[in-house]
Amino acid sequence: MTTEATADHDEHGEHGGDPEHPHADHPKWLQHHWDTPAQQFDAAKLGMWAFLGQELLFFSGLFVAYAIYRTWFGEAFAAGSHELNRTMGAANTCVLLFSSLTAALGVRSSQLGKKNETTIWIVLTIGCAFAFLVVKYFEYQAKFHHGLLPGTFFGTPRDMLTFEPLVGAHSPAAELPNHTNVFFSLYFIMTGLHALHVIIGIGIWIWILKRNLRGDFSKRYFTPVDITALYWHLVDLVWIYLFPMMYLIDYVPPGHRG
Amino acid sequence: MSDAHDHDHDHDHDEDGYGKDEVHAHIGSYKQYGAVFMALLAFTLLTVAVASVHLGNANLAVAVIIASLKAALVCTFFMHLKDDNKFNSLILIAAVTFIGVFFALTLNDVSYREKLDTQSGNRIYLESGDKAPGSWDNPIKKEEKKEGEAAPQASTSASAAPSASHAP
Repeated sequence: MTTEATADHDEHGEHGGDPEHPHADHPKWLQHHWDTPAQQFDAAKLGMWAFLGQELLFFSGLFVAYAIYRTWFGEAFAAGSHELNRTMGAANTCVLLFSSLTAALGVRSSQLGKKNETTIWIVLTIGCAFAFLVVKYFEYQAKFHHGLLPGTFFGTPRDMLTFEPLVGAHSPAAELPNHTNVFFSLYFIMTGLHALHVIIGIGIWIWILKRNLRGDFSKRYFTPVDITALYWHLVDLVWIYLFPMMYLIDYVPPGHRG
Repeated sequence: MSDAHDHDHDHDHDEDGYGKDEVHAHIGSYKQYGAVFMALLAFTLLTVAVASVHLGNANLAVAVIIASLKAALVCTFFMHLKDDNKFNSLILIAAVTFIGVFFALTLNDVSYREKLDTQSGNRIYLESGDKAPGSWDNPIKKEEKKEGEAAPQASTSASAAPSASHAP
């Protein structure tokens, strides 16, 4: 920065030439407590990474629970895993990976100041998020109808929305090993918590989309797009671990079981 | 945004026309992002394929290693850690390290407790049959036992075979 620019800066800080607009030389997206756009950007990213570190530790509690119960009830976990729909799980994995790509490309176009491209990538990301939830809904519905539910609800087929028992519906629960209910407890809490993150992610993306359409972002200021994408990648990261751990335990291809 | 103060008169501006206090993001190429995505899909196929190969306990290890490779790709390229402030990478490494400590201490505790009684689903001391630390009252098993007293239960065939092999 030249001495001229530095002088400008000091003047605004100490004397604030115009009392009506004391931060007139700040871009409106640069909050008054930051000296420079770079400082604001780095601080925002640092804060987001601290939050993501917390998210990883938060999910790790459930992964530790998973590890313990899998060592205790390995057979039940394999049996429970075989009841899940691997095609749907794999499809959802691809959908989430693709949404991570579109999110990363959304950040890229917003770094370049290409507003319309950013809009397209964000809309695609939100679309993938909804597709993921629709697949998840049908998976959950099948589990409810087969009575493959957590804890004491295990073995009683239920309607997903009303949670009323379904009379006459068959449940494979009786043929499954003891403690398969533990697998489904973890399945529902882990995928459910992940799905909650997806839902929150959709909300944030819609807000970011609105701001993008309003013209809030530019080559100089794309921080919200960047850190929202960081959150979205974390949602993807959690699923990257959930998919093999839930769906692929001791997998025997169809036709080779027995 | 053109409402910002104008740095065009600066002499030491960068090629983007703004000063060094501006955010300078590394712009990844389409090619790079596409390649990372294809690698992630390939690893997904690999993890599905490997899951059908019987490796015993190694199956879980292989699944975790492949998932970690995928996670590393996402963090490095999609989350920009490659070109980012290194302190952000440090936060991630610190979080992963403490997750490792969490796993190591908890699994160490759990693996060296007393044996699992497959009939009650509980941890007991082998000599006395008393409940060991970490055991709990399992409400589900109690119900099943009551049913079992009335009549030999149908699910015995499913649970008896594994219990027999694990019974001390």
